[in-house]
Amino acid sequence: MGRKGRFLIVVAGLVLAAVSATAAFGAHSSDPGITKTSIHIGGTFPLTGVASAYKTIPAAESAYFAYVNDHGGVNGRKIDFTVVDDGYNPAQTVPAVQKLVEQDKVFALMGDLGTAPGLATWGYANAHKVPQVFLATGDSFWGFCAHKSCQGSPKPYTIGWQPDYPSEGRLYGRYIAQNMPNAKIGIIFQNDAFGKNYITGLKQGLGAKKSLIVDQEGFNATDTTVTQQILALKAKGADTLFIVATPGQAIASLVTATKIGWNPTTFLANVSNIRPFLLAAAKAGANLDGLISSGYVAPMNDPNNAGTKLGKAIIGQYAPTLSADYELGDSNLMYGLGVAWTFVYALQHAGKNPTRASLEQALHSMNTGGDPFVYPGIKIQTSATDNFPIEQLIMNKWSGGPGGAMQPLGKLQNTGR
Amino acid sequence: MRPRLAALGTTAAVALVLAVLPFGLSGYHQALAAQVATFFISILGLNILTGYTGQISIGHGAFMAIGGYTTAVLSRDHHTDLVVTMAAAFFLCFLCGLVVGLPALRLSGVYLALATFALAVSVPQIPLKFSNYLGGSGGVQSAKTVSHLWLYAVSWSAAAVMFAVAWLVLRGRTGRAFRAIRDSEVAATSSGVALPVYKTLAFGISAAFAGVAGSLFVIGTNGFAQPSEFGVLLSLQILIGAAVAGLGSLWGVIVGAAFVGLLPTISSDVPVIGSSHGQDVVFGVIVIAVMLVLPTGFAGLLHRLARSRARA
Amino acid sequence: MVDLARRLPIRQQRLPASPVILLLAAACIFLVVGCLQSSIFAQQTVAGLATGVVYGSLALALVLIYRATEVINFAQGEMAMACVYIAYQLIQWGFSYWAAFFVTLPIAFLLGMAIEATLIRPVQHRSVIAVVIVTVGLFILIDGLVAWKWGADIKFMPSPFGNRIYHVGSVAIARQDIGTIIITLFTVVLLWALFRFTKLGLGMRAAALRPAAASLAGVRVDWMLAVGWGLAALLGAVAGLMAEPSQFVLQPTLMQPILLYGFAAAVLGGLESPAGAVIGGVAIGIFLNLVGQYVHFVTSELRQPFAFAVLLAVLLVKPTGLFGRRRIRKV
Repeated sequence: MGRKGRFLIVVAGLVLAAVSATAAFGAHSSDPGITKTSIHIGGTFPLTGVASAYKTIPAAESAYFAYVNDHGGVNGRKIDFTVVDDGYNPAQTVPAVQKLVEQDKVFALMGDLGTAPGLATWGYANAHKVPQVFLATGDSFWGFCAHKSCQGSPKPYTIGWQPDYPSEGRLYGRYIAQNMPNAKIGIIFQNDAFGKNYITGLKQGLGAKKSLIVDQEGFNATDTTVTQQILALKAKGADTLFIVATPGQAIASLVTATKIGWNPTTFLANVSNIRPFLLAAAKAGANLDGLISSGYVAPMNDPNNAGTKLGKAIIGQYAPTLSADYELGDSNLMYGLGVAWTFVYALQHAGKNPTRASLEQALHSMNTGGDPFVYPGIKIQTSATDNFPIEQLIMNKWSGGPGGAMQPLGKLQNTGR
Repeated sequence: MRPRLAALGTTAAVALVLAVLPFGLSGYHQALAAQVATFFISILGLNILTGYTGQISIGHGAFMAIGGYTTAVLSRDHHTDLVVTMAAAFFLCFLCGLVVGLPALRLSGVYLALATFALAVSVPQIPLKFSNYLGGSGGVQSAKTVSHLWLYAVSWSAAAVMFAVAWLVLRGRTGRAFRAIRDSEVAATSSGVALPVYKTLAFGISAAFAGVAGSLFVIGTNGFAQPSEFGVLLSLQILIGAAVAGLGSLWGVIVGAAFVGLLPTISSDVPVIGSSHGQDVVFGVIVIAVMLVLPTGFAGLLHRLARSRARA
Repeated sequence: MVDLARRLPIRQQRLPASPVILLLAAACIFLVVGCLQSSIFAQQTVAGLATGVVYGSLALALVLIYRATEVINFAQGEMAMACVYIAYQLIQWGFSYWAAFFVTLPIAFLLGMAIEATLIRPVQHRSVIAVVIVTVGLFILIDGLVAWKWGADIKFMPSPFGNRIYHVGSVAIARQDIGTIIITLFTVVLLWALFRFTKLGLGMRAAALRPAAASLAGVRVDWMLAVGWGLAALLGAVAGLMAEPSQFVLQPTLMQPILLYGFAAAVLGGLESPAGAVIGGVAIGIFLNLVGQYVHFVTSELRQPFAFAVLLAVLLVKPTGLFGRRRIRKV
């Protein structure tokens, strides 16, 4: 055998040794993504594309984790949060999640945003027993399918956070049935599960008064104008408008309604109840006074609220470029802080040396009113049979014209089943 | 005889590498390689249409959507075996290609490009309209999901089969007819080539390939088919892959497929520009550069190299 | 290989204009009667007119380029979108809306010229496919650059015409829509005057129609083509700036739906007819709305497929569009 041959054998031997050493190493550690000093988690978010209005959510979550890390982390472990862009396109979410789980070996997926992206990946996450925590979408799938079989199998590893859309719809339905018994309701909605979920809830809340709905007009998530739908609703004689849309089309709906000289009593799905966007709608001509929506995060226009103050400090220190946004009342930031707080809470209750199993256990036995970033009085509760962490909402109403804000309407309400 | 042997040798070498590769790759990388195979098949199909008969199509994403949804729906509703759904996608898209190819006979050049562009934009809207059967924007989830190794094996096997089919089709009478049509339709007709038959056939075959690619695409997306997976960009990516590969030759296709399939992952580390935008910028720059500097694509480069070696 | 087609004569037949004019007259009468009968009809027509002029001006930009260089510029919409972002940036730097508007126009012009000279000219003579691929690459490149520089999230621009609404009967007409119609038509008329009455316009028409003869007559053909692209880019910028207020927010997908409608309008009017492009745009804008209102099957998901159907129908029945000249090639 020549020199070349011998050299190659030595190299091969070294490589083999290295590989088996890593394999052995790997075999000793516990769940992936967790070491003595850090916990690696990841999430997919629409940093680009149609839903990129929500990119402030992961920014706030990262800021909160940075704050926690500076204060000793969780049981001595720092949280390492990888934010991946999926452009709200499930075809991108799937490889992104696979990369996080198989390449980056994250301990858990946290905060993944979007219903379609969630539906595309929850089968994979559950098959690989990866906790898929606090999905940033209000679809009720994440609450119902922990033990029930959905799309072929139960999904115990997936859990949401915010009050689900049907609950919110029910709230508005009950309000209308009680306070506006002669309303003629027109609905403009995003033509997918998100939109239809809300309408189901609205109808449940209206109960016997379901017949008040005179028309519903759908649009696609990618549509840039909704003039046709608004015109149609006005033509059918509606005097109450229910907008189920994300910020882009919500603004379009509000402005178009005013533009065509229509002034219905308007209800807005709280996914678009974000002050900077409403201000922009007002600037473009929408008449906001009397607009009704709901909320579950701490009131950002109340400077005495503890969560608002803490949030301001955290954003100011760890995400200073978003301070201006925070001042304007971008509730996405408060949402992100609230979710991150809840994750840290769950992690703290998962034991000194968390495993995926103990995290799941903690996630399904949460009981706290201590999240400063949610509306005062809201409890985060889960159990073996209750997979909906937050089931309370406060209704609110806009006042103060083009520079105003949402003010609480009534008391905190339970939206549970 | 020698160039033949060289070609055969290269193909055998590539096949061997592909057969052995997955055992050295992690699951995630296997999935990535499978994605390259998916693009390989669709670019092959587009090459047959645009490179060999000169009909421009910027709408092959639409056929991928049809193929992908066929797989998802058959699997969800009838629990059909996934490979069987791929065959179903092949035949269904072949028919769809014929249906599109017939009116396309009356269009040429830019007009055909426009019409196929409109097809690419419109077809993904159909599942949104018929959401009861086609899932709307909640998508359609297949009944079975597969392991990375399965995906790799089936994708590359399908790619090999499709390559063989393409090679057989293109070397025979059909291939000569296609090339005649591309070079001059008038001359081809005068020589007795029945234009309508061959042009429509090319559309059908090309669409069938895209359909199989669409099947694999959906299987690779965890079996989940949803309209936003089949946006206009997909059709553009296939066209770009074909351009980089070199229209009118089969040999560059793997380079085009690797370029389109792997660029998104590589470009997420692009320093200044960063992930998704980096991908778009790099795509755009490279395709424009290729068209300006190397219009015959990678295949043309190979050809030039072979010629210069022959001369030396 | 000998290309026989080039050796054979091309006969141009001038189509009598009357059937098309009659059709247009009938359509106008239909619209007027409808508006008088039903206020929702009138509302949809007015809304359609406002969106239609935007489609029409983008279509006109496409036609300008096609006439000059026989190229369909798939990147026309994205170029327009980039110009809107440039205006946005100027506004961020403190310019007023109208100052930004008028500074953006020459920037758009130069951008169009630069693209033609550097990217299109080298590939133009090769093949249709090559040019299509370059414009497609440009589409993606511009998309990426804009999203990189400004981000893909929603941005807000001030509205150029304010928010006032006028009420005519029970039809609400926004000042914004009136402004859009006026500005767009004004730009179109200005361009028409340029082509018809100036030496530059004459040179451009000559360079497009008979480049060899024009060059012999002293026309610098290359320059004319670049100027043509520049003017098209300018027109696209106007279309984009007028489209943005109707969407209330600025995001990179601004022009993408409009591009499809622009293509349909250009084809409907005839790829070589400027007047046809504008009329086609208005027609598509109005009829898309009316069909959406009165034909229940055509819900919002089907709007784009509907435009596609129009495009396809025109290409199959009369590919040269309403106002194009039919070219007959005899073999």
